[in-house]
Amino acid sequence: MLSEREVISTLNMLRNEHLDVRTVTLGVSLLDCASHDLDLFIANVQAKISRYAAQLVRVCDEVGARYGIPVVNKRISVSPIAVAGAPFGPDGMVRICQALDAAAKEAGVDFLGGFSALVEKGFSNGDRALIEALPEALATTDRVCASINVASSRSGINMDAIAIMGRQILATARKTAAAGGMGCAKLVVFANIPQDVPFMAGAYLGIGEPDVVINVGVSGPGVVKKAIDRAMEKGRNSHGQPLTLLDMAEVIKTTAYKVTRVGEMIGTEVANRLGIPFGVADLSLAPTPAVGDSVGEIFQSLGLSSIGAPGSTAVLAMLNDAVKKGGAFASSSVGGLSGAFIPVSEDSSIEEAARKGFLTIEKLEAMTSVCSVGLDMIAIPGDTPPETISAIIADEMAIGMINHKTTAARLIPVPGKGPGEEVSFGGLLGKAAIMSVPKGRSGGFIDLGGRIPAPINSLKN
Amino acid sequence: MLPNNGPEDKIMQKYTTSFLGRDCPGVVAAISRLFGEAGCNIEAMSQTMLCGEFAAIFVVGAPESLTLDGLHDFLVAGLARAQVDLSVLVRPAIGAQWGENLVCEPFVVTVDGPDGPGLIGSMSRVFARHSVNIENLTAILGEERNGQALFVFEVMVPDSADLGRLRRELDCEAQKLNLRVSVQHRDIFEAVHRVSSF
Repeated sequence: MLSEREVISTLNMLRNEHLDVRTVTLGVSLLDCASHDLDLFIANVQAKISRYAAQLVRVCDEVGARYGIPVVNKRISVSPIAVAGAPFGPDGMVRICQALDAAAKEAGVDFLGGFSALVEKGFSNGDRALIEALPEALATTDRVCASINVASSRSGINMDAIAIMGRQILATARKTAAAGGMGCAKLVVFANIPQDVPFMAGAYLGIGEPDVVINVGVSGPGVVKKAIDRAMEKGRNSHGQPLTLLDMAEVIKTTAYKVTRVGEMIGTEVANRLGIPFGVADLSLAPTPAVGDSVGEIFQSLGLSSIGAPGSTAVLAMLNDAVKKGGAFASSSVGGLSGAFIPVSEDSSIEEAARKGFLTIEKLEAMTSVCSVGLDMIAIPGDTPPETISAIIADEMAIGMINHKTTAARLIPVPGKGPGEEVSFGGLLGKAAIMSVPKGRSGGFIDLGGRIPAPINSLKN
Repeated sequence: MLPNNGPEDKIMQKYTTSFLGRDCPGVVAAISRLFGEAGCNIEAMSQTMLCGEFAAIFVVGAPESLTLDGLHDFLVAGLARAQVDLSVLVRPAIGAQWGENLVCEPFVVTVDGPDGPGLIGSMSRVFARHSVNIENLTAILGEERNGQALFVFEVMVPDSADLGRLRRELDCEAQKLNLRVSVQHRDIFEAVHRVSSF
């Protein structure tokens, strides 16, 4: 028999706190689709995706209905196309991207990730072709996401790749100028990219992963916020003592446990029904623009006037760590990014803080040293020089490389717009005020190129 | 009054006995003492309380010579002597449980909204049409809910039932009464709130 508290608490999480499974992502390896012939390769890719993805949306909806927990997004991740399609040139890469877009639409998924290259130590021919193809590929497709890993703690930072990405990000923005540079919202630059991320735009299926796999992304910033608010209302912990941050960390950890259990249960059942192995549950506090589904609001619940105020990095460190601890206890299959995201345009509270000047790129960069990803969904002026974009990316990659963690940069130079103006991407991608980039010139540094060596693993200070 | 129930009087039959009445300390002690005096062995029991009322069901193994009426009269007289205000009903025990041979899945149906007459009736008629068995029903009414009620039906849904249709029919009934319905597999509640072990 269920207790009254168990029933009411679960109903509240669903109805009032936006608990959902943010994404079920089907990973499909395309390495066995290899061919020297582009048409044959594309036919192989479409056939394989179609074979495994045909039932994905239906099964996710059925399982969601069974447990009363909506599976909001169904997505696909594929092997890095720079590897799977290595023989082809930039034009071929564009055609592959368009074929992936068609496959995503046929399967009824909202995004497909894996138009990716791993270049932390150098470029293969496929990598060069894919990176060259990025502006055209992203401008002529709707649902394909691209990611480029330019750094790792074992290899260092490929500064040549970063210099190229600064130019390609600008070129992609210009090609999609009518939509506010929207192409860049589907393009992320990574350090230490995980192989099993289910969240976009960084999802791809790593080389070490199974042929097909189901990975699940669970969110729940609203659930965490409401749990903190309830504890704050009581004012005292279970021992009758006044609340401290130790109690708050416990509340976040317990809530993360509950949310992860939901994700693992739904992911496992979807995987079983599709006859595909279950991979990981990625518990990341991933906000949406909806009020009550925000990571930024958690900072306010913990006593800051706004995200970005002094104390924000400490709050984020505690939040990120407590989420990981709860998730790790709930499931032995926790993977992906697992932590807290701070995407500016996708979170109404973070966007407001940026618009009102409480949050700058410098502060966001500091915060990314303790959260799960990086400079995410940040709109910058359309006339930002490419070397400045590259240098911002280099700073972010350095944080990831030195701290042995994933970091990423998803910067959107908005053509024709300057600081303070607004851009809207619609839907989950939200809207954002354009943020000023840090002052100063970085051209000489970026022009040097080459590689920043991998860091030492001893002498840790 | 009672038949001789010496060691040779083997336990051969089972009775289901229910008790309903005012709750007070000593109620269970009085019932179990009387079963002991009658030579009955308590094989299963369940008790609950609601608004100060005590309710319990006992399944007992009884000596062959003890008739149904004999046990009833003995319990009524014994409870009166002990000044325990309980009504007693005795029936032959049913051997088999409902749905033993059916493949069923446990679901939790919650219905919430303004409290009013007809709610349980209309919902339970839908369950009956789909051969869904209600295993537990709790009503959570409170002053804080301001005339609002939350009913929690824990039900067993046969695999042969059409879950989509059941859900639609429940929704339809609920809308007439301005209520909200959710239908969820029971596992989700346990997964979220309980630390399970292998």
